[in-house]
Amino acid sequence: MAAHKRTIIDPLSDNNPITIQVLGICSALAVTVQVQTAFVMACALTVVLTCSNLLISLMRNHIPSRIRMIVEVSVIATLVVIVDQVLRAYFFELSRQLSIFVGLIITNCIVMGRAEAFAIQNRPGASILDGIGNGLGYSFILLLVASFREIIGSGSWYGWNLFPEGYVGSGLALLAPGAFLILGIIIWVQRTVTQNFKDD
Amino acid sequence: MQPADRQLVTFALIICVTCSVLLSGVAAGLRDRQERQVELDRKRNVLIAFGVDVHDEAGRRISAEQVEDIFGANVGQFVIDAATGEELAEAAVDPNAIRVKRQLRLFYWMEDGERQRFSFPISGAGLWGEIRGFISLENDLMTIAGITFNEHSETPGLGGEIERSWFQEQFQGKRLMADGEPKPLTAVRSGADDDDPHAIDGISGATITSESVARLITEDFKRYNVFFKRLRDG
Repeated sequence: MAAHKRTIIDPLSDNNPITIQVLGICSALAVTVQVQTAFVMACALTVVLTCSNLLISLMRNHIPSRIRMIVEVSVIATLVVIVDQVLRAYFFELSRQLSIFVGLIITNCIVMGRAEAFAIQNRPGASILDGIGNGLGYSFILLLVASFREIIGSGSWYGWNLFPEGYVGSGLALLAPGAFLILGIIIWVQRTVTQNFKDD
Repeated sequence: MQPADRQLVTFALIICVTCSVLLSGVAAGLRDRQERQVELDRKRNVLIAFGVDVHDEAGRRISAEQVEDIFGANVGQFVIDAATGEELAEAAVDPNAIRVKRQLRLFYWMEDGERQRFSFPISGAGLWGEIRGFISLENDLMTIAGITFNEHSETPGLGGEIERSWFQEQFQGKRLMADGEPKPLTAVRSGADDDDPHAIDGISGATITSESVARLITEDFKRYNVFFKRLRDG
């Protein structure tokens, strides 16, 4: 039980996929201009990650090790395309805002990383927890970065205006350099708090 | 073939077939719904260009059925030939020709059994990708009545502001003609003069997007002006 708890709690902070392992940076920079798009992206990734972990784990004793990675990619890609198609059919506006980034979940290192590092050698139950944990860890950082960027850059949060009329947003926070700065600071804080992480 | 190899090939085949069947199924199953969404988005934006409030009292967007109802009751459409400005028969309409702007689609608002105002799609290059939208004109066929941009990939918060109402509202009353000839809109950097009917306020930090928007409106208006000229000349 304690092991299960660690599986789901660790990725939230002490072994966070973004701030400790520095994976999934591309999307953490690209879709964090607004909290809303970051939220949808976070949900999409968590769903894909959990499902892919489950499927890979179910097949773990049958996958020939030589084609292990290509099988993982196939499973992940299939899941991502399904999510993308569903978004297009049911959440048209959001899918238009996210454009290619949903498709790019396929190349998100977190998904492939968890399949390789965890799902391929663990039971389905634990793999689901690992998927949810890492998905939440990713989501947490994504929303944090997006909150900073939207509040500083647009003066709003999830589309709600926070400041009186006349607030001039900082363009820097909306562009890529602002995202790098904010993410860098978050990683610095995280690594200062989490003293004993493994740095290869 | 070694038994291990056979197992490998079998497994790979199973994965491929399963994934393909699943994807084809999902794509086929959702296609109708996706196409309806695209069509609905188009209708909704034509209504916005015509100045219809597509939100209810609570500020929520009106339902798909309501959009269809309003569109069906008030809006008509036809296609013209870009070179001659003549209205084309249904059979002569070619989607590919519309894509390359050799044929042009027009929407009109029906009131008292008459075509009251015209609206047409506008599109062109922005900073990162194509910007698409709809514009509607007053009955003088040169003054902008409403505008909307529904598809773009400009930087959110900067160029992306073109989708906000504060940017779109300033277009109302701007003129696309002067002295009987089309006159380009210009995007001004530091606050356009409200009295200047040919200048719009650019977005600070998004000069290229602002200028692109002004340019694509001007260029597409020129295309449609072939038809409007015929109407004006009677």
